[in-house]
Amino acid sequence: MSYLELKNINKSYAGVAAVHDFNLDIEKGSLVSFLGPSGCGKTTTLRMIAGFEQLDSGTIRLDGSDIVPVPPNRRDIGMVFQAYALFPNLTVRENIAFGLQMKKTPKKETEKRVNEVLDMVRLQDTAKRFPHQLSGGQQQRIALARALAVQPRVLLLDEPLSALDAEVRVVLRGEIRRIQSELAITTVYVTHDQEEALSISDKVVVMNKGLIEQIGTPEEIYRAPMSRFVATFIGTANQFLGKTSGKNKVLCNNVELLTGDLNGFEEGQAVVVLVRPENVQVQSDKPQQKNWNIVPGGIETITFHGAVTRLGVNVNGQRVVADITVANTQPVSLNQKIWLMFPPDACQVMAAEE
Amino acid sequence: MKSSLQRKTGHTVDWLGFAPFLLFCLAFEIVPIIFLLRGSFIEKTTHQFTIQHYLDLQRPLYINSFINSIKLSGLTAIIGMIIGTFIGYAIYHWPSERVREALITLSDVTTNFAGAPLAFAFVVILGMNGVITQFMLQYFNYDLYPKFSIYSFSGLILAYVYFQLPLMVLLILPAFAGIKKEWQESAQSLGADTLQFWWRIGIPVLIPSLIAGLTLLFANAFGAYATAYTLVQAKLSLVTLQIGYMIAGEVRQDQAVGMAMAIGSLFIMGLSIGIYQAATLRTRRWSKS
Amino acid sequence: MAKSRSTPFHVPNKKIRPAGWQVFLVGFFLFYMLVPIISTYVFSVATRWDRTILPEGYTLEFYQRAFDASYFTITLRNSLILSLATVLVSLLVIVPTVYWVHTRLAGAKPLLDILMILPFGIPTVVLALALVQVYNFSPLARSPFLLIGAVVIYSMPFMYRPVANAIQAIDAHVMTEAGQSLGANVFQVLSKIIIPNILPGILSGSLLVFATVFAEYTLTSLIVGARFKTFPLLLVEFTRINGNVASAFSVISFTIAWLVSILILWVGSKGQVAKTKAIRTG
Repeated sequence: MSYLELKNINKSYAGVAAVHDFNLDIEKGSLVSFLGPSGCGKTTTLRMIAGFEQLDSGTIRLDGSDIVPVPPNRRDIGMVFQAYALFPNLTVRENIAFGLQMKKTPKKETEKRVNEVLDMVRLQDTAKRFPHQLSGGQQQRIALARALAVQPRVLLLDEPLSALDAEVRVVLRGEIRRIQSELAITTVYVTHDQEEALSISDKVVVMNKGLIEQIGTPEEIYRAPMSRFVATFIGTANQFLGKTSGKNKVLCNNVELLTGDLNGFEEGQAVVVLVRPENVQVQSDKPQQKNWNIVPGGIETITFHGAVTRLGVNVNGQRVVADITVANTQPVSLNQKIWLMFPPDACQVMAAEE
Repeated sequence: MKSSLQRKTGHTVDWLGFAPFLLFCLAFEIVPIIFLLRGSFIEKTTHQFTIQHYLDLQRPLYINSFINSIKLSGLTAIIGMIIGTFIGYAIYHWPSERVREALITLSDVTTNFAGAPLAFAFVVILGMNGVITQFMLQYFNYDLYPKFSIYSFSGLILAYVYFQLPLMVLLILPAFAGIKKEWQESAQSLGADTLQFWWRIGIPVLIPSLIAGLTLLFANAFGAYATAYTLVQAKLSLVTLQIGYMIAGEVRQDQAVGMAMAIGSLFIMGLSIGIYQAATLRTRRWSKS
Repeated sequence: MAKSRSTPFHVPNKKIRPAGWQVFLVGFFLFYMLVPIISTYVFSVATRWDRTILPEGYTLEFYQRAFDASYFTITLRNSLILSLATVLVSLLVIVPTVYWVHTRLAGAKPLLDILMILPFGIPTVVLALALVQVYNFSPLARSPFLLIGAVVIYSMPFMYRPVANAIQAIDAHVMTEAGQSLGANVFQVLSKIIIPNILPGILSGSLLVFATVFAEYTLTSLIVGARFKTFPLLLVEFTRINGNVASAFSVISFTIAWLVSILILWVGSKGQVAKTKAIRTG
């Protein structure tokens, strides 16, 4: 039984569909991310849950009851914005107490709650300061504390880390996940940053052009992308365009690839073969493995990424990237002729149209 | 590091580049004002220090000038601030951007329409035989005169509000832009309704801008001269008019009293500009976060 | 700053109508702002308009008489001399100073800001009194030269703001260093880089100063008076002599103000075009 249920949601602006037939069930206590490029409809969907946007059609049920007719200030939903949105005329303490005061919570209890959430975000000593005296990261923690103080039924986060520095971003996303699991609060998290989505979510909803591309755990999304969009939007993937041939072969312009079973594809169908760079191995001598894809190429670029080194290899005119770790490879140099190898099960095949 | 420090404090040579401007300000503004201040404390014949000129300001004519000036400036500033804020809000939320821009341009132009042409325009519409006066008489059978007169205090208020309103609109528009949509949405998701939002967040955030607007409008009206000179002449005494008469030598008053009056008005203006600056500083600090 | 939101769809629907209260307030504002001006325009071409709602007839006679009025050409010439001289002195005194402070003397910025706000806090009559008292010797006493000094001070903020904004916008400090590192001397940096880039700001400032000084009455009448009669002085004189001719003068004055405003808008939009162009090519 899902806690937050979005059914057949449609929304368009001036005739352009922003969200199209959106269906999603969110379990109580889980963190679900909406991930996609800007303009994919993720923020619009979030704002419909919050009540700031009207739906054209569809229903949103929270804990069994329809919340669409409920105004935003009665929905009991906490929201954190990209731009912090702390009230500049109120101190940190007053900001956090705001929601409790709106609910007419007794003074003592308000005090207690404010201290609790300040503890939770580890910013007890900022209580008397004003927002403009805090750093961006601190402001966003306070915004989180403010949203949590009223113990909302659902927490919505709209690109909460986009305005922050890379370092703060990583720390704060860990904090968000920690607090979310401690409170077991149902959370929807909107982001365009795949690393962020993959690292903190129970489930990721990948969206594109108002449509859901895929729903799954971070692992499923990365390992088994169900569309070319997902495969290329999340991580990097080499793409080979070609036509199926026989039970497990794809003929591409420049190479012939061995793949897994091609059940479900017609003979000669146009397909795309996707291979993640970390699955591509590099050898200086021709490898002898049987039933592996083995192709020769020349190194055109070498980019050092820290843990891995990314090679750009020219294979019959197509650029193929391979990630190698320094530990298990011999040194390579530019223009070196090498061999690339990857097993058939590293190849993901999908129909080429779309 | 070193170069940025140098840029901050500057070499003596660098300050030489600032000298021409500074000298100009000293010559045509600061030194004359200092002499004015000094003159207001000096007895003319004995050249002794005295506060007599300030005591002389207690005479009814001068007291009335100050009271009239403050009343006129205060009243038109308050009217301008309140109505200007509402008009500004209406303009800020006007759906068409072209209309918005046109109205802002109109405000830009009209706020500078002070002085004689404006005063005369008001005579054209609200003078004894003015267009609106005629209109009221013929269609409503109501004679504005003698209860109202464009040549009196009530007329001056109408003429002053003319340049105060657009000034307030221009001052308050950025303040409305500073109230972020997310604040409203945060407040809503925390359970506040529209009224609660404006009471707890919107109005408190606007207050520094309102104070800044009020004080600037006050100073704007207090220092005005040409509009009043054209309209009321000797029928109403205002501080600026009195000082003007003394310069022109139209009244046989002790020049030193004029200086004391000038220093008094400088003090009032300085106070309002000071409050204006402080209020503006606060709005800037808030909009930073 | 926050990055752009992920919904590009937040364009308000163009068909949304303004609410009733908005129409009422803006309507009132337009009425208040436009009726005096329009009435003056109509009055200046009306034969007689003191007994009826609409004028009894139309004529250009008052413009004829305005142009024929003794002093008309002289005052117009004087106004032009005063305005242009003030713009020139402003340019010479203020623009180099603002550039200097922004690039070489950041420490003087607070002082500059205070000096630029000061004129707002000094009523023009007080400035006139102070100047007349101190400079009571020839050749300055009550001369046009003293007047120019006074109006430069009075109109200073109008030149300062557009110029300072322009200099800030182009990051003059960095541009100067970039120019110098490429081998340009101070003069070349100014003439080839800085001035062309801040030209829209300089033009806006000059136009604002021109319009302000052209309409200036208080300082002129109190410092020089009849010895150097300008257009606004003539206007005030005629409000007491002949209302119809005065309205013709008012119309001339309003029209100049409108024209200058349109010019400033035009210069401003040109400036923006230049800016986007600079970004595209750079």
